[in-house]
Amino acid sequence: MLISEAYDTNGFYDEMFGPGTAPRPGCGRVAADLVAQPPAHLAELRARADRMFLRMGVTFNVYGDEAGAERIFPFDPIPRVIDGETWAHIEAGLVQRIRALNAFLADVYGGGEILKDGIVPRDLIVGSPQFRHAAVGLRPPAGVFITVAGIDLVRGADGRFYVLEDNVRTPSGVSYVIENRVVMTRLLPDLMRACGVRSVENYPADLLASLREIAPAGTARPKVALLTPGPHNSAFFEHVFLSQQMGIELVEGQDLVCVDHRLFMRTVHGLERIDVLYRRIDDDFLDPVVFRPDSLLGVAGLMAAVRAGNVALANMVGTGIADDKAVFAYTPAIIRYYLGEEPILPIVETHLLRDPEVRRAVLRDLDRYVVKPTGASGGYGVVIGPKASYRELAETRERIERDPKSFIAQPVVSLSVHPTLTAGDQGRGPALEPRHVDLRPFVLFGARPRVLPGGLTRVALREGSLIVNSSQGGGSKDTWVLEARC
Amino acid sequence: MLRRIANHLFWSARYLERAEWRARLVDVHYHLLIESPPHATEPWAPLLAITGESEAFARCYREADERSVLDFFTFDADNPSSIRRCIDAARDNARALRHRISSELWLELNTLYLDAQTWSPAVLGEAGVFGFFAELKDRFYRVAGIVDGTLPRDLGYEFMTVGKLLERNENVTRLLDVKYHYLLPRAEDVGGPIDLLQWAAVLRSASALEAYRRVYGNAIAVDRVVELLLFDPTFPRSARFCVDRLVGALRRIGMHNPTPPAAVPPLPTEELATMLSTGGASEVIAGALHEFLLAVQDQCASIGTTVFDDYLRFE
Repeated sequence: MLISEAYDTNGFYDEMFGPGTAPRPGCGRVAADLVAQPPAHLAELRARADRMFLRMGVTFNVYGDEAGAERIFPFDPIPRVIDGETWAHIEAGLVQRIRALNAFLADVYGGGEILKDGIVPRDLIVGSPQFRHAAVGLRPPAGVFITVAGIDLVRGADGRFYVLEDNVRTPSGVSYVIENRVVMTRLLPDLMRACGVRSVENYPADLLASLREIAPAGTARPKVALLTPGPHNSAFFEHVFLSQQMGIELVEGQDLVCVDHRLFMRTVHGLERIDVLYRRIDDDFLDPVVFRPDSLLGVAGLMAAVRAGNVALANMVGTGIADDKAVFAYTPAIIRYYLGEEPILPIVETHLLRDPEVRRAVLRDLDRYVVKPTGASGGYGVVIGPKASYRELAETRERIERDPKSFIAQPVVSLSVHPTLTAGDQGRGPALEPRHVDLRPFVLFGARPRVLPGGLTRVALREGSLIVNSSQGGGSKDTWVLEARC
Repeated sequence: MLRRIANHLFWSARYLERAEWRARLVDVHYHLLIESPPHATEPWAPLLAITGESEAFARCYREADERSVLDFFTFDADNPSSIRRCIDAARDNARALRHRISSELWLELNTLYLDAQTWSPAVLGEAGVFGFFAELKDRFYRVAGIVDGTLPRDLGYEFMTVGKLLERNENVTRLLDVKYHYLLPRAEDVGGPIDLLQWAAVLRSASALEAYRRVYGNAIAVDRVVELLLFDPTFPRSARFCVDRLVGALRRIGMHNPTPPAAVPPLPTEELATMLSTGGASEVIAGALHEFLLAVQDQCASIGTTVFDDYLRFE
């Protein structure tokens, strides 16, 4: 037995062990060499990892903590393994998705064919708070709207991967993928080599290549900069990390100025032209002339420079319409429409509450659904039916009745579980227990798609919890994508 | 290099130098008082004169005694020039560029800042004036060592150097000026024991007493002190030394320009460099030391303005 008999997955799909606790394809080595070790030894590994993260400064800012206190993202030393064959399937699905979403954005901000053809309702698009009139008629230099996507996948009880949501505005988390790997490489070098784990360290170079590929035509050596909201942002560490890894300037809005529909940064030796801006601030704050006039984070005149074709944005303004939760329901149709292919990755069943009949059915069993506001991202405003109180359900019902088009409902997904080292507090020693996980792979698109082999595996460290967000007791694991067997 | 980054580096270094300088002044002044005959009426007032804060002090405090002056000078959160506020400012500037400075430097600055937050006049009671300021001076040495040992000599380092040296130059000339024209108002005391003690203190505050003795021997003479602190090309706190380094830093900054102008513009340091490399103590004392020092200070201010306009200003 590689895992204790007390390990009970409660009927959820386990990522590492199949029926009869036989390791799944690719997992044998990790199960035998790592999972079978005494939990106390694993706890030592975790402690070593924590020290490394702290020393490396891999931390996230805790809002409202002025004393400079930073926390490390909880890390679980048991890696999540994905065999080469499974990964090939996921990768093809991700590439298909980003292609289709890019075509969709070029269309809805261009000719609007998909709306004319009635595949996606027009009012769903132009009525969405994510629709940006400033992007209408824009033709990004290389036709690319989404350069960086983080696509959240979950594995259901049937063992299939489903798309839970797309993140195509300013997705974050990739720095943890890379730093988790740095730590694991020091922690378990032999095991990694024996397993044949694919490297993730090329991501910053791939990102830079993709950003250069979307530069305005005719720029010989495109100058790329990363725009951050500043040190108070919770993802500031990642902004610093990526800019350093790519060797590009990390700029704030106050460093930028637009002159003659061109974007410049203020250097000690005068203005220096920027061709591609990898912006990590939301649309609304990007240009006070066009969006929120009170924003100090962006730069006035940026959209005019974009429109003049003198600067490329990654991601382009208005991509939020493609990860709108209501549009999500149409993504299989969008894939079929633009690519003439069947979706490789299915999506989690999604109900649009604007439809009266659907709404009636969902409201009848509201406690069995997850309700999400269509426009929000990052888990804001999500109500999980089975965990909600009677009062919360009543309030949610009322909000839906008042504004049905702003909500969608999804069945509660039985997220897969993974052997995870528990804290070992309250008198109990550390032990391996099943905890729910998801996966956020990262896809890049410049002249061609590039997929990071792996992604951020987030794990809900609390027993029974389905919430993997770091703000609510979530942690992460290294994700090992194995070389395809030849 | 972004102007914002250069600006933060410049001010961070400048505020650190200012904080260190003030710690040195207190340290030295305290010793001076111990050694002085007990007749001076307001023994702590000169400290305020040296930093030009007599008026600001008088607005908030009634009497210039040890406690009130040290409080104002060191801890006062309402005095923008107090050591504590200088440390705040240095750390605030560094905070915006944590990713550009070494983690060692950030850690040291942040620790210093966090400690300064807990300071109150009571710490003087515990550690004693001497203990407190000696320790503080050591911490600034540590910061300087970390800067020296961990920062790459890139453009950012040059801007830190410029900020530090401009501050240092202003401080040393101010110190000389105040000593020469203010501390000993009665002409008959010149050359007397108090005068000499004060000159020794001036040297000590610039860590120059030992250097002085090595070069000139035990006897302290005004013109030699002035020579060492203004014109010596080898002593690291002399005005001449600072300006030489300033010239080097500004020249390297200019060389980083990716599109250099056809005709290289003259450095803003030219006039000051000439004043300090061709002048000598006996002439300036025979002429008018005060005017000379003022001219040096004016030059420093104008160099600061030029550096700001050329490299740091957000137009």
